[in-house]
Amino acid sequence: MRNALMVAAREYAENARTKGFWIGILMVPVLLVGAVFVMRWLASDATPTRHYVVVDQTGRYEDALQRRMDLRYAASAFSSYSSWVQRNQKEEFKGVEVDLESMPAMNLADFNADTFLDRLIEEQGEEKFEALIEPGGFDELVEQARPRLVETAGEFEVPRRFFRSLPLPADLGIDPMTAKPDEVAEALKPYLRGEKEMQVDGKPVQLFAALIIPAEVDEHFDPLPEGETESSGVIGDVADGIRALTGANQPPPVQYWSGNLADSDLFERLRGNLDRELRQSQFVKRGIDVGLVAGVQRMALPIKKLDPDKETGKEEVSQADVLRENAPIGFVYILWISIMQVASMLLNNTIEEKSNRIIEVLLSSVTAWELMAGKLLGIAAIGLTMLLTWIASAAAMLWYWASPEAEAITNLASVIFDSTLLPAFVFYFLLGYFMYASIFLAIGSICNTIKEAQNFMGPVMMIMIVPILTMAFIPKDPHGTLATVLSWIPLYTPFVMMNRAAADPPAFDLYGTAIMLVFANIAMLWLCGRIFRTGILRTGQPPRFKELLGWLRRGD
Amino acid sequence: MSELALELRGVSKHYGDLKAVREVDIAVPAGAIYGFLGPNGAGKTTTIRMILDIVKPTAGTISVLGAPSALDVRERIGYLPEEKGLYKKMKASSIIAYFAGLKGIDRKTARTRAYELLERYGLKDFADAKIETLSKGMGQKVQVLASIAHQPEFVILDEPFSGLDPVNQQVMEDVIKDLSKAGSTIIFSTHVMSHAERICDRILLIAKGTKIFDGTIDEAKKKIPNRVRLQADAGNDQLRALPGVLQVDAVEDDLHEDLWDLTIEEGAEAQQILQTCFAQGITLRSFDHNEPTLHDVFVELVGEDAREAQKR
Repeated sequence: MRNALMVAAREYAENARTKGFWIGILMVPVLLVGAVFVMRWLASDATPTRHYVVVDQTGRYEDALQRRMDLRYAASAFSSYSSWVQRNQKEEFKGVEVDLESMPAMNLADFNADTFLDRLIEEQGEEKFEALIEPGGFDELVEQARPRLVETAGEFEVPRRFFRSLPLPADLGIDPMTAKPDEVAEALKPYLRGEKEMQVDGKPVQLFAALIIPAEVDEHFDPLPEGETESSGVIGDVADGIRALTGANQPPPVQYWSGNLADSDLFERLRGNLDRELRQSQFVKRGIDVGLVAGVQRMALPIKKLDPDKETGKEEVSQADVLRENAPIGFVYILWISIMQVASMLLNNTIEEKSNRIIEVLLSSVTAWELMAGKLLGIAAIGLTMLLTWIASAAAMLWYWASPEAEAITNLASVIFDSTLLPAFVFYFLLGYFMYASIFLAIGSICNTIKEAQNFMGPVMMIMIVPILTMAFIPKDPHGTLATVLSWIPLYTPFVMMNRAAADPPAFDLYGTAIMLVFANIAMLWLCGRIFRTGILRTGQPPRFKELLGWLRRGD
Repeated sequence: MSELALELRGVSKHYGDLKAVREVDIAVPAGAIYGFLGPNGAGKTTTIRMILDIVKPTAGTISVLGAPSALDVRERIGYLPEEKGLYKKMKASSIIAYFAGLKGIDRKTARTRAYELLERYGLKDFADAKIETLSKGMGQKVQVLASIAHQPEFVILDEPFSGLDPVNQQVMEDVIKDLSKAGSTIIFSTHVMSHAERICDRILLIAKGTKIFDGTIDEAKKKIPNRVRLQADAGNDQLRALPGVLQVDAVEDDLHEDLWDLTIEEGAEAQQILQTCFAQGITLRSFDHNEPTLHDVFVELVGEDAREAQKR
């Protein structure tokens, strides 16, 4: 045992002392944080302002569209302003901490940015945002907030517009209001293709999109003239008092021209607002109270999610419950990454010892079992160090960036760590690690180079990829056939049971698979130990499968 | 010194159909320096691995320092394998201390000894250098030191001289002599006969897995015929007629057509032949009588096998 511990200590020191190890470990949190920043940057700064023109031959949509786009912009600028205020508030003005346990589970659809902005406009009233559209619109708000803010708050940077409509270029050579839509499009094409440029504040910009609304596009929607009915020669079918045109009778469609097919944000926004304006005007033409309609549309039945497994009186599903239910996905991922990472270390240094022939000296001092045990323990300690470092660096970062977001993450973390998930994670990490590590160790022992090892790693990776593929599905049906079957395959038990951990798996599955996992570990250690003992001294070609079976049987 | 440090009885090792070692008997008295000689592929390394109980023999028994397995007495054994290698990222002193630690030496003593040894054998300045920064020869010296830092009673060195320059070969010889002075039993294998001749008390010759010779160097030399090489204006028959001469062979040499090897009877004096030559008026341009070297013995006894092994 003393020898195994010495081997373990050396193994630990060798890895823990290298710069590469710590860089590798710290890369993970840095990359995660970096990814968040990059995503934010991509969403805000990296996307250029999209310039577009609108040719509205009906004359009824352009202003409404412009107003709607302006309001959306103002609302989104306002929400940036709110979080700026929140970030810079003095301690005493900070609101009550969010309690995820008592916060009802949110609906994912509420997170859609446009829906959110529209609701904000509706709730706060359009007038409030109108004032914010023009440059300097926020000055007053910022001044009002000042007394509540800390000294270091600085200035509020009003976000720029992502979409900006431009007046039509003067040199089109046609009258855009009377020309046919196709002619208008033809005249605009050089701008859309980038052959000609538009001028904004004296700077040339490329036209991103053009919207052409033909004159007669919506006339058929208008109410039927007094006294006319479906049978009295009206063009098209009439249902519920609304005409529907088909075939050749259909009016020319609205044309959205853009060379960029990937970015559909502007298209979606314009289309949504066109339809909104059409409906609004039709309500008016049919004498329906728009305000009333809006009011009716806001109506919603109160609804709650409840969980029968929770304590009576507290059955409502909270945000914390939802997080707990989904947290295992993250755990499975971390489990997988960390097991892969440390098991590969084992593979590499076994091959190093073998190709450097250190192994012979070692084996004249320690038994193959002691060597294997030492290596497994040493690298297990490395794995735990890695996990602890991740947790510690996450905690350090949250502490450093004390902000509302960080607070939310802290809440989230405490929800996860308070649950039974963490002990389960440690259990599955250790047993999963020993299982895969012994496989990697056996592979390392029969190969002389990393290249040879890669041939063996192929099949192992195919086996290992399964839990990653099923990771997202298992929480949705945690006790289904797939989950149950995979749970009972020891190679998958750690991942799949971790995946199911939050859903209270049946005791039979929980303890049964755990016991089986322990026995599978013992069997795997024994099997791989036999391969290790023989393989480690072997030189030349890796053995064939048949030979391996022979080693297992004879053990020589 | 009648006590045996190592005894092998009827030891064989078969890998499938390949008989790597066939019924070898060895007895190494305590305190001896024992040379382990043989051509490539003779079974030296396999035998050494069996002695160390790294591989199990197919048949036969091995007793090391009185124990049935070297692993039982591994604290008392030192081993330097044929193919040398060390952890590249470790410091020279740490490696020596680590291997000494594995042999049961406590941490502090192990570290002290590591520095002492490095200093004694001229590596003081590299004690804290990583192995990857050392030259191959230096690395090899470090490895030798790592295998003896626990002051073993019984040391097995597999090809300790290979890859060393003449100066360091001398250092290696000193290491072996120092160990012997300290009372250790030493087995080492080598291809270089001069080392064996200078250092060994006894040698073991092995070829194709079979023991060919086991005894002192003098005994080994007696195994091959006594020879005289001379350059003379005389025919084969004339030389053959000299008293005490058993056989005459022309030496194949492009420069000299008159060079002859005379195999003489055991006990016959070279001096006597020289005098007879004078008496018979044979003109000698050179007369050379050297004791056979271990090299001659090796070539004579296993030369054929060695060449075969090379062809394979």
